[in-house]
Amino acid sequence: MPIRFDASLAHFEGDCTVEEALPLNDWLLAEKGPAVDLRRCTGLHTALLQLLLAARPALAAGPEDPFLARWVAPLLHGPKA
Amino acid sequence: MSSLFEQFLVESRELVEAAGAGLLRLEKDVGDRDAVNEVFRAFHTLKGATGLFDWPAFTRLVHATEDLLDAVRDGRARATPELVDRLLAVLDQCGRWIDAIEATEALPADADAQGRRLAQALFGALSGATDTAEETPAPRPPGFDWLDGTGVTDARPLTAVAYDPDPECFFNGDDPLALVRRIPELVWLRIEPTAPWPADLATLDPYRCVLRFRALSAAPQDDIAPVFRTAPDQVRFATMPPAAPPAAPEPAPATAPPPEGALAMAEAILREQRRALGMDADPAELDGRIAAAARTAAGVLTAIGRSGEVEAMATAAATARAAGRHGPLADHLATLLAGFAPAQSPAEPLPTAPAAEARAARRALRVEPERIDRLMALVGELVVAKNRLPFVIRETEDLSGGTAPARHLRDAYDAIDSLSDALQDAVLGLRMLPLAQVFQPLPRLVRDLAQRLGKQAELHVSGERTEADKDVLAVLGEPLIHLVRNALDHGIEAPDARRAAGKPEAGTIRVEARQERDSVIVEVADDGAGIDAGRVRRKAVANGAVDPARAASLSEEEALALVFLPGVSTASAVTDVSGRGVGMDAVRTAIESAGGRIAIASTPGAGTRVRLTLPLTMVITPIMVVAAGGAQFGVPTGAVAEVARVPAAEVRRVKHAESFALRGAVVPLFRLHRLLDLPAPDRRPGDVETVLVLRIDREPVGLAVDGVRERAEVVLKPLSGVLAGLRGYSGTAELGDGRLLPVINLRELL
Repeated sequence: MPIRFDASLAHFEGDCTVEEALPLNDWLLAEKGPAVDLRRCTGLHTALLQLLLAARPALAAGPEDPFLARWVAPLLHGPKA
Repeated sequence: MSSLFEQFLVESRELVEAAGAGLLRLEKDVGDRDAVNEVFRAFHTLKGATGLFDWPAFTRLVHATEDLLDAVRDGRARATPELVDRLLAVLDQCGRWIDAIEATEALPADADAQGRRLAQALFGALSGATDTAEETPAPRPPGFDWLDGTGVTDARPLTAVAYDPDPECFFNGDDPLALVRRIPELVWLRIEPTAPWPADLATLDPYRCVLRFRALSAAPQDDIAPVFRTAPDQVRFATMPPAAPPAAPEPAPATAPPPEGALAMAEAILREQRRALGMDADPAELDGRIAAAARTAAGVLTAIGRSGEVEAMATAAATARAAGRHGPLADHLATLLAGFAPAQSPAEPLPTAPAAEARAARRALRVEPERIDRLMALVGELVVAKNRLPFVIRETEDLSGGTAPARHLRDAYDAIDSLSDALQDAVLGLRMLPLAQVFQPLPRLVRDLAQRLGKQAELHVSGERTEADKDVLAVLGEPLIHLVRNALDHGIEAPDARRAAGKPEAGTIRVEARQERDSVIVEVADDGAGIDAGRVRRKAVANGAVDPARAASLSEEEALALVFLPGVSTASAVTDVSGRGVGMDAVRTAIESAGGRIAIASTPGAGTRVRLTLPLTMVITPIMVVAAGGAQFGVPTGAVAEVARVPAAEVRRVKHAESFALRGAVVPLFRLHRLLDLPAPDRRPGDVETVLVLRIDREPVGLAVDGVRERAEVVLKPLSGVLAGLRGYSGTAELGDGRLLPVINLRELL
């Protein structure tokens, strides 16, 4: 299971694909203060990225993957654009 | 943000506009000395304005342009159409920089290189150098404006990638982010939403791609293109030339004395403040006026490095306020101004027309539109609150039998009544802006478009000082551009066709605005080929917009009006200019949503005239706030004949249709919560229904609601964006406490 939902914290692990979009969407809608852990995420499908960008959950841990860390993680910090 | 900074934003944009207008005149007649002077003056003042701040690249480019225009003015150089083109390019850059400065308070990182490139191109055009091809950068393909904001400077040539994934691409198995990840030698990447994020996550479709990607890579295009093998139609490439090597550093501007242009502007601002102080003021306004003048003066002094003098000035302002007259502060400003006198260079007398000063005074105050909207909502509530008074007065009169206190109460009410009317007019007046705002892009549009289409056209604009409400202007902008584009694309013929028809080769497009009673009228007329009413008729029949019998019975005039139906207006040959499916019906929808009307007249061979009639101000609509299904909605009071209380037991039910008896007549009953698909309220037998009795096409109709909450007078705002397609609502209104209320369109709903 690439995304493990642990109450209000979701762990993204490995290659997270478009199949996760609906569960992630439902979880984001249901949780009051959602947070995500991208540390072990190696692939993030665009559908998941745009949900994160739209919902802006707290970033509990940034990705170690160099591409995600360099270009994607900064978008999830700071104020919503 | 300092007031000086805000003033710069406003002024510099006006200067860019003035220079642009002058350049377009110069292009028509390269010998037009007035136009050269106008453009020169604009750049001169702009140089002074940028000099107040620390943007050396901006000042340098403007300064270089000013020098060049000076040479043209003296006859040392000659204006050519090519030079005008490049001057326009400089102006465009200035506009972009001003935007960037407004957003980030700084120039983009590539400003230096951009400025240098443009300045070189300018002087290249001047010297008439033969190998201009080398100096002119390759024209940038459309859709790559973002390249100015990347802040990337690289000595290598870079490939720019604009990737706009198909919203449905997830269904094809595409993962745009995964593709972007595979771009070789990625130097810079921006991921952005194609539209602002919705406030409510639930409205976002997780399976539609709403992101787009902008990237720079050091790899050549041929190496990048294979990555997008599956989506070749969604990606565009452009080449970015290597950045110029860093130039010799300029003398540090921070410690240098402010340039002479800055002092001139500072002086002008201080003089204006002093003048404003001297004007007759209501004692009530004096305090505010002194405070405003002191604030501005403090900003100016700080900006020109004389912050040490701010305190003395503030003391003078405090004295003035304590004394209740402007004298002390005005005198102090006069002293400051005297100190400026020697600083102004006598070598370059800058012609400052009195008109320019008057303009400066007129643009002194800028207020965010939201504040005015809020004021407007409060005035609406004030009117409603005021309207309750006559009942109270009547009760008092009945009780006291017309004694003095009741009379006094009525006098006071009359005074409040006329004041609130005046207040409402004044607030509506605050929102009035000149139409010049929406006319401003037209000259450039006609110029660029005529060039692209190989046509010749002259644009005549009149009545740009006519004023209308800002919301009306906002509605007008797009349709106007569309109409002018249409006139040029479909109306005006190619030069040889015009010659054959015995017309001058250059077509004429007239845009005229005027006020008629409570309306503003804008006409767009061309002397082109006109519209063939017969063809419109055939086209409307062909795509089913109207049936053949009806089409045949229409007069010429009525047949022409068919172009406003969806799908009729698009030209038979689709060009990249107009005719992209959004035709005249889009124009009509926009105008009608603002409460306006549109009419068209055309004479084949002689031209077409489209007339837009819009309300001068947004209309104030009285509404009732009603509750239904746990939410609140506005209903226009005008449609409500009465509010009836109907015992639930008296509602008759035949299958799903309900009705009730009102003074002997049977009135059909609808329920608002049901029409809006909202949960039904709890009902107990013996309850009394609140029913709005509406008059729609004369027939009474009952609309049951859960309750009537309050009345308000509001400005209706049409729904925009994704909501524009919702038919059951005519718009939203802001209430005095800031709540947004959807207002129901009864005709659509029932």
